[in-house]
Amino acid sequence: MQAYDGELGAAVARAQQGDEAAFAVAYRLVQPGLLGYVRGLVGDDAEDVASDAWLEISRDLGRFKGDGAGFRGWSATIARHRALDHLRRQKVRPRPSALEQDVLDLPGPHSTHDQALEAISTEYALELVRGLPRDQAEAVLLRVVVGLDGPAAARVLGKRPGAVRTAAYRGLKRLARQLGGESTDKGMTDDGPRTLGEST
Amino acid sequence: MTGDSDNWTPDGPIRRDGPAGPDDGNGHGMGERQNGSGVPDRRRVRPDDRLPGGPAVDPAALETLLAAAMRAGTVDADAEQRAVAAFRDARDAGAHRARTRRRDDWRPREQRSAARSLRTTLSVFLASLALGGVAYAAIGSSGDSPSDGAGDDRGRATASASDEARPGGPTTAPGSGPTDRPGTAQDTEAHCRAYEQVQGRGKALDSTAWQWLVAAAGGEAKVPAYCAEQLARATAENKPVNPGNPGKTVKPSKSAKGGAGSGSAGGNAGSGQADGNADTNADTNADNNQEKADKAEGKN
Repeated sequence: MQAYDGELGAAVARAQQGDEAAFAVAYRLVQPGLLGYVRGLVGDDAEDVASDAWLEISRDLGRFKGDGAGFRGWSATIARHRALDHLRRQKVRPRPSALEQDVLDLPGPHSTHDQALEAISTEYALELVRGLPRDQAEAVLLRVVVGLDGPAAARVLGKRPGAVRTAAYRGLKRLARQLGGESTDKGMTDDGPRTLGEST
Repeated sequence: MTGDSDNWTPDGPIRRDGPAGPDDGNGHGMGERQNGSGVPDRRRVRPDDRLPGGPAVDPAALETLLAAAMRAGTVDADAEQRAVAAFRDARDAGAHRARTRRRDDWRPREQRSAARSLRTTLSVFLASLALGGVAYAAIGSSGDSPSDGAGDDRGRATASASDEARPGGPTTAPGSGPTDRPGTAQDTEAHCRAYEQVQGRGKALDSTAWQWLVAAAGGEAKVPAYCAEQLARATAENKPVNPGNPGKTVKPSKSAKGGAGSGSAGGNAGSGQADGNADTNADTNADNNQEKADKAEGKN
């Protein structure tokens, strides 16, 4: 997704001059990752939340300063605020969530890793990610799905880059374990701290 | 995918895609791999290198997989149209001319800090200009406002006057109080004039300035005499140059004579009023002149 950053930056710059076709280009470049991120946060209501986020993005576009990568970070920040608002409203009148049970019932561990790596459905990936602790899920989504680098993801989350890197690492490790099968658990866990230290 | 994730997936994309990597299936021996896509000097311990056995998911592959799955789906055309319509409305309403807030600035760190440092430099420069101007004005007001010639002349003239007067005898009236430097002469004069105004009235004389004046005069009782000297001297200085005036300090020899004469005649605070002109010329010496005068007095 970083490959499009040059194109995205140019589109954003033209949109800031008032070019609405350029704004549509930017939308198409950014929306998949943004929607994936919001989906990981709020689940089924992601489309609505992302729409709200785009209203704010289109309104505040003149305020934005930066390149394509910066625009992804800026728009992700706006989407995150909308998603957190949504979650707060939801907390007031909660819905039943079967998420935990779904994750436990996943077929992942029974298939070989090669089969699991061929492709996974959006639903499956979403359930895997939403099974993670919130900080890990967000870090993974921002890094992998939105495509932000470490500092940008940290800025979106309002955390230190080191903390976000650690959370992303742990989240991915956990996902790998779930995808790869139970037999890898021990080795992954034992190796964790050393590799973590190396990555920082 | 990103720089940081590369740190812990150094061997490139997806393991099963490696061109010639030994596919041992359990990860053993991966660390020793020297061919294929692995770069020897970048060899690192990977999480799945030490697995006792069984499959592991390569992190890069996992990221690719997740990204593909989570970003799947076509962009909803209706949603796009709504976003574009909102953009158009905001543009037409002029909302896009809004000011950039800190959270809207996603330029790379160097650019942001460069812009900020430029602003900082500019404001520091302006502040230094303003402060420098104040300082210059302050120097100008204290250095220039007394008439230059008189001020400088006075210092030099009295110094030479006391030097010449030394052999002649005591020059300074003992009761005339501590001498003050030329810089405070103006203050003293002002204090004395104020003293005349408020004398005997109210508590204005309790102020710091009053206490300073008492200290300068050497006691509250001596203030009138002290002030009389100061004011007389100031008056003399403000007069135009007149060689006939014994108090003038333009010609050192003349004032020296006057100083020596009045000094011997005086000796108490009261004399200051009578011989004010001459006395104060001697009084404005620096402190060492007082010492010299004392020595000379002892000689006599």
